[in-house]
Amino acid sequence: MEIKDILDEKMMIFDLKAKNKNGVLKELVSVLKENGVVDDEEGFLEVVKKREEEFSTGIGYGVAIPHGKSSLVKKASIVFGKSCKGIDYNSMDGKPAHLFFLIAVPDNSDELHLKVLAELSRSLMHKEVREELEKASTPEEVIKAFEK
Amino acid sequence: MKKVVAITACPTGIAHTYMAAENLQMAAKEMGVDIKVETQGSIGAENQLTDEDIKAADAVIIAAATKVDKSRFAGKPILEVPVEEAIKNAKGLIEKALKMEKPKGYVEKVEEIHKERSAQRTGAYKHLMTGVSYMIPFVVAGGILIALSFFWGYKAFEVEGTLPWALMKIGGGSAFALMVPILSGYIAFSIADRPGLVPGMVGGMLAVSTGAGFLGGIISGFLAGYTVDYLKKLIKLPKTLEGLMPILILPVLATLIVGLLMVYVIGSPMKAIMTSLTNWLKGMSSTNAVIFGAILGLMMAFDMGGPVNKTAYTFATGLLASNVFAPMAAVMAAGMTPPLGLALATVLFKNRFTKEEIEAGKAAWVLGASFITEGAIPFAAADPFRVIPSIMVGSAVTAALSMLFHIELRAPHGGIFVIPIAVSNPLLYIGVIAIGTVVTAFMIAALKKKVE
Repeated sequence: MEIKDILDEKMMIFDLKAKNKNGVLKELVSVLKENGVVDDEEGFLEVVKKREEEFSTGIGYGVAIPHGKSSLVKKASIVFGKSCKGIDYNSMDGKPAHLFFLIAVPDNSDELHLKVLAELSRSLMHKEVREELEKASTPEEVIKAFEK
Repeated sequence: MKKVVAITACPTGIAHTYMAAENLQMAAKEMGVDIKVETQGSIGAENQLTDEDIKAADAVIIAAATKVDKSRFAGKPILEVPVEEAIKNAKGLIEKALKMEKPKGYVEKVEEIHKERSAQRTGAYKHLMTGVSYMIPFVVAGGILIALSFFWGYKAFEVEGTLPWALMKIGGGSAFALMVPILSGYIAFSIADRPGLVPGMVGGMLAVSTGAGFLGGIISGFLAGYTVDYLKKLIKLPKTLEGLMPILILPVLATLIVGLLMVYVIGSPMKAIMTSLTNWLKGMSSTNAVIFGAILGLMMAFDMGGPVNKTAYTFATGLLASNVFAPMAAVMAAGMTPPLGLALATVLFKNRFTKEEIEAGKAAWVLGASFITEGAIPFAAADPFRVIPSIMVGSAVTAALSMLFHIELRAPHGGIFVIPIAVSNPLLYIGVIAIGTVVTAFMIAALKKKVE
């Protein structure tokens, strides 16, 4: 299994509407609901927010990776979101976030999925990957960014 | 190439663990540092650090928002930070970790305690210890040379012109003869500086010739030192004659005063005390020998090189000048068993000790064998009310047995290295030390709680 296998082109937003952190989380989680990954949208949003309280998942470099592990999640999924204007995400470097990866993991997720997510997290640390993602305007381009 | 090992971990173990790991690896690559990162994420520990990895590492970085077990990194510099730190500034972390100093090891700790204690000594105790420290090498040299002369038989030195005769002349006739004068002289030196040396050493010579022994020598040393100090304040000379003070007036006057006091006042009563003391020590009944040995043993272990220990030690060393050799053997054995017993306990009863202590146990063998009682201090400091009673019991048993069997030792230091040459019955002596070591170890097992 590779990163592209877990990235679903139906779960990508290239023009996020939200203006703030809570808004963007809500917007990303709603995508999960639409695609049947979670039924209890509010419930999962709480899980993600709770994780956010521990410390911000805005890792800097304009990237944020909100995530939640919960029995509400039916299958490991990623929602990709992009905001051209940038959203204040209370990031570690204080800069607004442009790229969002909402990671949803079921409680008893199999190792395969977790490994892929770990791989994705590692990839995001590389400048080239982030640059490709910032340029991406189609699902194909997003997937391609991780193939390097 | 520098090597760093790291652990990353975060609450959910999905993303940050791996981002931190990746960042550390990227930074290390850039800096030319070898790195291995163990990730403790939701998948479990991956890329696990082996003992070899840790051994080879110059530093450890723990970037975690959760609790990470640090025991396997004992003795390494550890930099602990929140996991975000490694995502934010991995390069800075590696730099910082490599600059960190190694936590102090066991042997360094013992050395430090040793130094601190010397520095903390004040007043009369400091002066006495200065005298003792100058005296010891004379006793070591003398004692070992005398012991060597016995190699040809206990009476071999009586034949004039032979090598054993020469050894006895050097060791017994000269080195040992200097020990009380040196003790007395350097007590006075410690009190009154250079002008104290002459009255102190002369007073010490008189202590020997009047039979006042080392106790007389200690008195003459203090007497000389304080006399010189007093004379310095009392006598005021015009500036032009001031130069005469240290070379003429102080030595002559002080030596005269100390000398007369030693001959007419102190000599005889001290001689009586020393004679009865040596007679008592030499002709002691078995019961008394056991009690006396046990007291010496308790003193040796009580503060492991501190004032109480040094009192017993000084007493036994001083007695060498009066040809009483048994207490020296008891004292050295009792000073060896605390570190040895602890070392044995770390081998037999591992669950009573932390990983660091088990590691330190290896060095404790060496310190114990070298008669460095201070080797027990790091263990005692960690758990004083269980360790100190344990080592006191072990030392008391050893010293009591040593006295009971009337084992003699002619050198005041050297541990296991002088046993073959300077001990009257080396095998029995080693047996006695072994018993004390085992007793100490089992006492520790009985008293000390298991480490979680």
